[in-house]
Amino acid sequence: MENKKAEEVQPKAPMKSPSGISIIWRELVRDKLALVSLIFLILIMAAVYGTSLVLDQKEIVKVDLFSIHEPPSEEFLLGTDYGGRDVFGQLVIGTKNSLTIAILVTLMTGIIGVAYGLISGYFGGHIDNIMMRILDFFMILPFTMIVIAFVAIVPKYNTITFSLIMTAFLWMGIARLIRSKALQEKELDYIQASKTLGSSHFKIIFSQLLPNVSSLIIVTMTLNLAANIGLESGLSFLGFGFPESTPSLGTLLSYARNPQTLEFRWWIWVPASILILLLMLSINNVGQALKRATDARQRRG
Amino acid sequence: MWKFTLRRTLIMIPQIIVLSLLIFVLAQLMPGDALSGQIGPDVDPERLDEIREEMGWNDPWYEQYASWMGGVVKGDLGDSFRFKMPVSELIGQRMVNTFWLSVATLILTYLIAIPLGIASGRYNDTWRDQLITGYTYVGFATPLFIFALVMLWIFGFKLGWFPTSGSITPGLEPGTFEYLMSKIYHLILPALSMALITTYSTIQYLRNEIVDTKHKDFILTARAKGASESRVYNRHILRNSLLPIAAFFGFEITGLIGGSIFIENIFGYPGMGQLLVESITLRDYTVLTATTLLFGVASILGALLSDIILSIVDPRIRIK
Amino acid sequence: MSYLEVNDLRVHFPIKGGVFGRTVGHIKAVDGVSFSLEKGKTYGLVGESGSGKTTTGRAIIGLNNITSGKVMFDGVDITNIKRAKSDARKNIQMIFQDPYSSLNPKKRVFDIVAEPLRNFENLTRSEERKRVQELMELVGLSPESILKYPHEFSGGQRQRIGIARAIALKPKLIIADEPVSALDVSVQAQVLNFMKEIQKELDLTYLFISHDLGVIKHMCDQIGIMYKGRYVEEGTADDIFTNPQHIYTKRLVAAIPDIDPNKREEKRVFREEVKKEYEQSYNDYFDEEGLAYKLQPVSDTHLVALPEKG
Repeated sequence: MENKKAEEVQPKAPMKSPSGISIIWRELVRDKLALVSLIFLILIMAAVYGTSLVLDQKEIVKVDLFSIHEPPSEEFLLGTDYGGRDVFGQLVIGTKNSLTIAILVTLMTGIIGVAYGLISGYFGGHIDNIMMRILDFFMILPFTMIVIAFVAIVPKYNTITFSLIMTAFLWMGIARLIRSKALQEKELDYIQASKTLGSSHFKIIFSQLLPNVSSLIIVTMTLNLAANIGLESGLSFLGFGFPESTPSLGTLLSYARNPQTLEFRWWIWVPASILILLLMLSINNVGQALKRATDARQRRG
Repeated sequence: MWKFTLRRTLIMIPQIIVLSLLIFVLAQLMPGDALSGQIGPDVDPERLDEIREEMGWNDPWYEQYASWMGGVVKGDLGDSFRFKMPVSELIGQRMVNTFWLSVATLILTYLIAIPLGIASGRYNDTWRDQLITGYTYVGFATPLFIFALVMLWIFGFKLGWFPTSGSITPGLEPGTFEYLMSKIYHLILPALSMALITTYSTIQYLRNEIVDTKHKDFILTARAKGASESRVYNRHILRNSLLPIAAFFGFEITGLIGGSIFIENIFGYPGMGQLLVESITLRDYTVLTATTLLFGVASILGALLSDIILSIVDPRIRIK
Repeated sequence: MSYLEVNDLRVHFPIKGGVFGRTVGHIKAVDGVSFSLEKGKTYGLVGESGSGKTTTGRAIIGLNNITSGKVMFDGVDITNIKRAKSDARKNIQMIFQDPYSSLNPKKRVFDIVAEPLRNFENLTRSEERKRVQELMELVGLSPESILKYPHEFSGGQRQRIGIARAIALKPKLIIADEPVSALDVSVQAQVLNFMKEIQKELDLTYLFISHDLGVIKHMCDQIGIMYKGRYVEEGTADDIFTNPQHIYTKRLVAAIPDIDPNKREEKRVFREEVKKEYEQSYNDYFDEEGLAYKLQPVSDTHLVALPEKG
């Protein structure tokens, strides 16, 4: 690579080399499966967020006793549930709610985890030791159980509080990952150099260290997004997610806990299952492609 | 070695104390208590207050915590108001069920993971490997509860091959052969559903481990010495790759606990996971705190076990 | 008058052990080192790896914590440089050994060289750009390449970027930690000569750390030789190379390769002799722990670690 560089004719004007992010982007677009997945995701998001502007959530979740458990028809595209509510409308709103929470949780766990991991890894020593003990403790807590317990004690919750509860017990994975990377990076001379150049710890952590863990952050957060969709729908499925007035994909699935619904009324839960599966698969595809792009270091810039 | 084990075990003590405090505080914060649902025209509110006073529910929190912990240490977890029996007795029945479900799941997980992982690693980048990798890929992306629902739908309801709820056919005499078979019969579908989904991490780990080891110098040396291919795999590669799997055994416990909550609720299997969800719905907080504490302690012990096995298998982690 | 004065510097690292991770002992990386440096001169610090030379340099600039001792720079106490006035920080800069890891791979050269400027000087964007371009020209790199990433440069070019960054604040003292040992031999001379040029141009003082006596001979006016955290000998370049007194120094000097093939056999015999002498008289020069004794003056400029007479 070095040789190739030397052979190239240097242009006179200041040449801007491509940044790391744009290289990753290029790799992603080259991967066919990932590209298809990405397009699918963008379409779903556009469709869901777009239609939910038009759809009235209150109208959809209103109980209609005259049309309980109707199979798919022209009036109800995907039939109705035990309250006579339109499943298709719930699917759209549910996807929107599920995605919103998953994105919020991913962002919040990302921010907390990255900051925690960077600080712990950068300072090392006693600080690292104490911070890791705290993290270990959170790590061994059985997540599902604790979140269920929390959801049970918070009487009224909305998207934000629910996301906060999930975030409180989900930031550790990314923190640990970032911390081990930061531990390696901080030994490198560029960090030492920054110290001798008079940069503050804060500045070094966020302007020198952070860019060097950015690809790891992007990959991990993408994969976390998929996992969070699964977790959220799982909690809603158990009945510890959102109330029925704010349906999520898991709410539709939770109707299948009734054996009658599971056995005879597939239209209520199968579409939501497929949608969750497709969402998680395509986000994973994108995440894995990003991972390959950052791992292989097949840079062409 | 002993130093590491001792230090690791000492760390566990504060972990358990903090966990118990957390659970206790959570329980205190929960709205209402087991009596608040019983308020009705024929119940005297003053009588309820008397019961509360008798039960010590009006004492300061630290006294309640102390008496609760004192009981826990002696094995007394309090009484369940809803099930009208001591919690330890209630949990005892459920725990046995969950224990066997976990054991069955673990056995199935390893039965699936080890052959597939070895095949995938040994013949990497062949069609066989691609098939297995594809399975782990989908397994990774599929939420356990959706998969379990589909399994129940197909094998339980549509095909009718397996029972759709419970842990035993009613009316059988404990100790008989039929009783045992019925237990196993009820276990298979839930355990298989969980194993098929959770196995992907072990397969992936084993595959990567074998692919890595394959190209290490000591394997090349073994080949150069003329060892047969099966000897290279059985004696050299597998020994190096399977040991870490044994160490992850402890971490599996945390995963099993999370999984059992879903599985038991879907398959109507009367275990701890189902009890946990029931106790929240019924506001039976003595049961809730007890299950949560037991699950938490099990996770902590699992992590301890894994760390100790790992330190035996891989001496590097002892030096931190 | 001495410009940088290091007095009885000690840097000890704790060894953790036991069940509770208590400190059970210390590694004495630097164990009582004193020297002084004159303005505009180059002082060479020599030793094998693990001798504490790099730790000494890093302790002076504040990258390692000083256990005890005192560091004075231009009359100001900078022992605790992290808390010292920003002037001292600005005036002492460092060139790192590895040109690959010392430049942040995710930053453009412009940002790398401008980092110290942003910390200490309030420049507008265009002033900053002008300064960086000037610096690039000064170190012999094209000012157009400031928007490139470090991986687009060769090792020698990268080390020049490192130098540009170090001189951006017009420092007075530069600590050069093995600045050429990661480079190809053909590039080493280029970088060394360039360092000499900018020394004259900017009136720099160097603390030059190296294990390579050939490089030290080329660069330094004064030399200190370290072994296991202590000084074994100190003197002018002349003292060390023509009149080494300590047996350890003698062996080091004897090991310098000679280009003249005719002298090859002669050198070999000489090395053998020194080796024999080293083995025979090891106990005369080192104490029971294998550490060097205190320095004793043998001339005005020349100090050697010898057991006290008597």
